[in-house]
Amino acid sequence: MKNISLPLFMLMVVSGLAQEPAPQIARQGQVSFFSYTTVENIEAINNHVLSILDPSDHKIAVSMLMRAFVFKKALMQEHFNESYVESDSYPKATFEGTILDFDPYLEGVQTKMIEGQLTVHGITKETNIKAHIENLKGNYSIHGDFQVAIKDFEIRVPPVVEKNIAKTIAITFQFEYTPYKTQ
Amino acid sequence: MKKKALFFSCLCLMAYMGVGAQELLQTLEKEYPEAPQYAFATFKTTRIALGHSVETRKKGTMELSVFSRFWNLPERTQSFVADRMNARFGISYALTDRWSTGFGASNLDGIFDGYLKYRLVEQRTDGKGSPVGITLLQNSSYRSIPNRGINASDGFWDKLAFTSQLLIAKKFTPNFSMQLSPTFIHRNSSRAAEDPNNHFAVGFGARYKVGGHVSITSEYYYLANPVNSFETFDPFALGVNWELTDLLLQFYLCNVGNIAEDAFITQTRNNFNFRDGNLYFGFNATFVLHLTKR
Repeated sequence: MKNISLPLFMLMVVSGLAQEPAPQIARQGQVSFFSYTTVENIEAINNHVLSILDPSDHKIAVSMLMRAFVFKKALMQEHFNESYVESDSYPKATFEGTILDFDPYLEGVQTKMIEGQLTVHGITKETNIKAHIENLKGNYSIHGDFQVAIKDFEIRVPPVVEKNIAKTIAITFQFEYTPYKTQ
Repeated sequence: MKKKALFFSCLCLMAYMGVGAQELLQTLEKEYPEAPQYAFATFKTTRIALGHSVETRKKGTMELSVFSRFWNLPERTQSFVADRMNARFGISYALTDRWSTGFGASNLDGIFDGYLKYRLVEQRTDGKGSPVGITLLQNSSYRSIPNRGINASDGFWDKLAFTSQLLIAKKFTPNFSMQLSPTFIHRNSSRAAEDPNNHFAVGFGARYKVGGHVSITSEYYYLANPVNSFETFDPFALGVNWELTDLLLQFYLCNVGNIAEDAFITQTRNNFNFRDGNLYFGFNATFVLHLTKR
């Protein structure tokens, strides 16, 4: 009896903890970016962004393939992957961060800062992003936007097209989460 | 027994913590769906320099191109820029992501040419599928001014020639690609009886990306059975590509004046060197128009 009591106690502790919200995943997340200049507007959208949210310890991670960004012009997409972000060498962009002052139990929308590291083109930068987090009966969704200076990620723009590509790129994101099941 | 229980309870705790937040990014790595990854920009342009590359444009893309060659004659003084020039004005259209077709006319020998190009296999970069990309090309040309030519000029059919190519390319590293192009050329007629009507050739092409938008290209064709009525040499080109925006520019030095495949592979009369009459400066400008926006 004595021998069983310890694991039983542990199990009770664990099941007590398990009532905390479990990790949730977004498999069809959307990330788009916009470059507005007087010469040309460039936009691209990626509809296959992965994100995982762990509400219990306020952590979030995002991962995407740079090649999944779709441009209006096919050649522009090729230039983007081949000459700017060099997708052969750096196929993914990732973000890993913590949501500050996050209350996972609060129903409805809360606007919070996410503090973390953004990795693009092999360069990691500390990035703070303001995000709107919605909790709808335990299912979370997050959306927001932020700005990124392309210089920070060592993406070189030749002088000839300097006027066509904005120095800061506007990025918007939208993730709808569903409960995460490990396979 | 007590140790065992403690171990079990620890295991329970670890199993729970396993889905913890520490390595969320690593968890995501495993969640990527199994989607095929294809090599892109093996060659960015549809021509390496002289001949076709494996590349085809995406559906609904039109290319307007001017391919030109400039050269000096040994016995003449330069009048303006160069003694002679040849230009091919061309238009091509991608019917689908795999099929494309094009048409062009060049002033030297008055050659009109048209082609059909089909991307048969795309190179996969994820270790599965084909390690090379394969494209089929069928070109036909009509020589309207046959005075320099090796074909007879009695009727329309005599002036036709057909080039079939199997283009096999591989992007070895993000910067380096190579292409092998087995080629079969059929000419409808030969003026001299000793000249073969069918030719076999192999093309070798390479591209090395030196900067974000600049690459060096080279191309060489080995002709297995040249014509016998006069001496010919194998075509060679060495150049620089400038790949930026919708306008793709190619600059190269070569020993070839003609632009249609059958003409430059079988009828190059001078070797590659820097003497007047032998050195040709080549310039390809291709403007890419996206007619169907995605």
